[in-house]
Amino acid sequence: MDYLIIGNCASGVNAVEAIRGKDQKGKITVISDENYPAYCRCLISNYLAGTRKEKDLLLKEKNFYQDNSIELILNKKVESVKPENKRVVLSDGKELKYDRLLIATGGSPKFLGVEGEDKYGIFGFRTLNDAKEILKLIPRAKKVLVFGGGLIGLKAGYALKQKGMDVEIIVKSPRILSQVTDNDSAEMVGRWLMENGIKIRTGLAPKKILGNKKVEGVLLDNEEKMNCQVIIIGKGVRPNMDLVKDSKIQTHWGIITNQYLQTNVENVYAGGDVAETTDLITGEPTINALWTAAAEQGRIAGLNMAGEGKKYPGSIAANSIDFFGLPIISLGYVRVKEKGYEEFVRRQPGIYQYKKIVLKGNRLVGVILVGNIENAGVYLALIRRKVDISGIKDILLEDWFDYSKVSELLEQKEGFRETVSLQGDLVKMA
Amino acid sequence: MKRLFVDVERCLSCRSCEIACAVEHSQSKDLFSSLKEEPGPRSRTKVERDTKLQTFPLQCRHCEEPYCIDACISGAVSKDPETGLVILDEDKCVGCWMCVMVCPFGVIRPAKEKKIALRCDLCQDNEIPACVAACPTKALFFGELKDFKKKLLERKDTKSKVKV
Repeated sequence: MDYLIIGNCASGVNAVEAIRGKDQKGKITVISDENYPAYCRCLISNYLAGTRKEKDLLLKEKNFYQDNSIELILNKKVESVKPENKRVVLSDGKELKYDRLLIATGGSPKFLGVEGEDKYGIFGFRTLNDAKEILKLIPRAKKVLVFGGGLIGLKAGYALKQKGMDVEIIVKSPRILSQVTDNDSAEMVGRWLMENGIKIRTGLAPKKILGNKKVEGVLLDNEEKMNCQVIIIGKGVRPNMDLVKDSKIQTHWGIITNQYLQTNVENVYAGGDVAETTDLITGEPTINALWTAAAEQGRIAGLNMAGEGKKYPGSIAANSIDFFGLPIISLGYVRVKEKGYEEFVRRQPGIYQYKKIVLKGNRLVGVILVGNIENAGVYLALIRRKVDISGIKDILLEDWFDYSKVSELLEQKEGFRETVSLQGDLVKMA
Repeated sequence: MKRLFVDVERCLSCRSCEIACAVEHSQSKDLFSSLKEEPGPRSRTKVERDTKLQTFPLQCRHCEEPYCIDACISGAVSKDPETGLVILDEDKCVGCWMCVMVCPFGVIRPAKEKKIALRCDLCQDNEIPACVAACPTKALFFGELKDFKKKLLERKDTKSKVKV
């Protein structure tokens, strides 16, 4: 059996491990368009900040590929997939054949779409090379503008602030973190960032990038000119799915997958930021482009490629981040605009603590935690397992809320115990 | 595989296990010296009360399919293939709190002062975990499942309540 994995990050590596766990003989090939063994992509901001060295970014131990007999092809892009011949075509024209294929090509940063975007000094902040290029510019750069107030842009800004640069976040919407927070918590986090020296301006967008070959400044849509030497674009990512556009593999937001993470072509699977899966809360098809989701999808796709037949329950939006020691966790559906939802909030702006829970009927669908994040996973379990929380509504916001208060509700749920070892079962035995 | 089991009938919620855990994971491993350490000692196990006010000790369950491994963005969490224990490499941990976000038991605790997640490692260097050694009522048991079951059945008072 020839397994071919396109992509060498969370999804790809987890798939490889899952396949090897079940099939020690099959040939596994991993192709990456980057020039590194798998690294912790989310830690490129730590690398940029100087809190992690390059050697500490390795996702797996040094001999991972050798020990698992994996052929690793670096620096090669897959141009197209030809499922009818079970082949892929590489950028150098070479073809590789497969029996089982995993497409885990991830995503690419979206562009600003303005004049002058081809200048040197503009980064999407997605790869280790992006971080290395930014580091090269730091000695002569003073000012960084981050366009977009999402997690990636803020993480890059946070890293560069730690490097002593003058960082300014420019957001088109009225607030930062608009995808994962509500107004009050975004205001709190924004105030915290500003107190720690990061500037934030809202309601503005770039119109033109200024400079010759290198970035020297920006013209904003209010005709204001700002000087800067580095620009980070944090406008989100789009799935890298050009390689299937002329094939029979179906796409929508991303590459469409079924509950086994299979595409519409039987022996082709997809996982990670390129894969469209079902959202656990809304039931709608979506891409939850998150490390956690990518790793789980890769693992399950890998198991299925090796013949397991394991169902993927669906993806869930869940983000955790820490800026200057302030932890922020956002789970599920938190940007309530329509009717039919109930919200409970506890605000303690003076000590930077915020807790919000969102209910729909008897189900918990969203949580925002700022400051105190203990027991966050208990909420996620309640969301994930669609637990009827009508009996515990009044204690969900309490600081003493924890697993012991909901153990019976959770343990009734099908599949919950499967993830738990016997150590857990026996706690409740007596 | 040796695991930590709790005979909740015997637990008095004295929290000796919490103190023992915090001391064991301190730099000095001594109660009084550890109190002066910076950052201070922190327990990785906790004793809570459920909605019926029944005592409820909680610690990492070393899950079969741990959410925390998928969630870890720095490759710091792994499952030991021999012991089945889910172990955090604290040097690799960056304090992103992804594991805190996904642990359904809420037993991974964010140590903001150290910027790492704290979790039970079953005191791997010791013969028995510190919490088990410290438990005055022998509510905590470290060993094989079958031995724990046997121990429970030997106790007449719980025989009727235990489903083995």
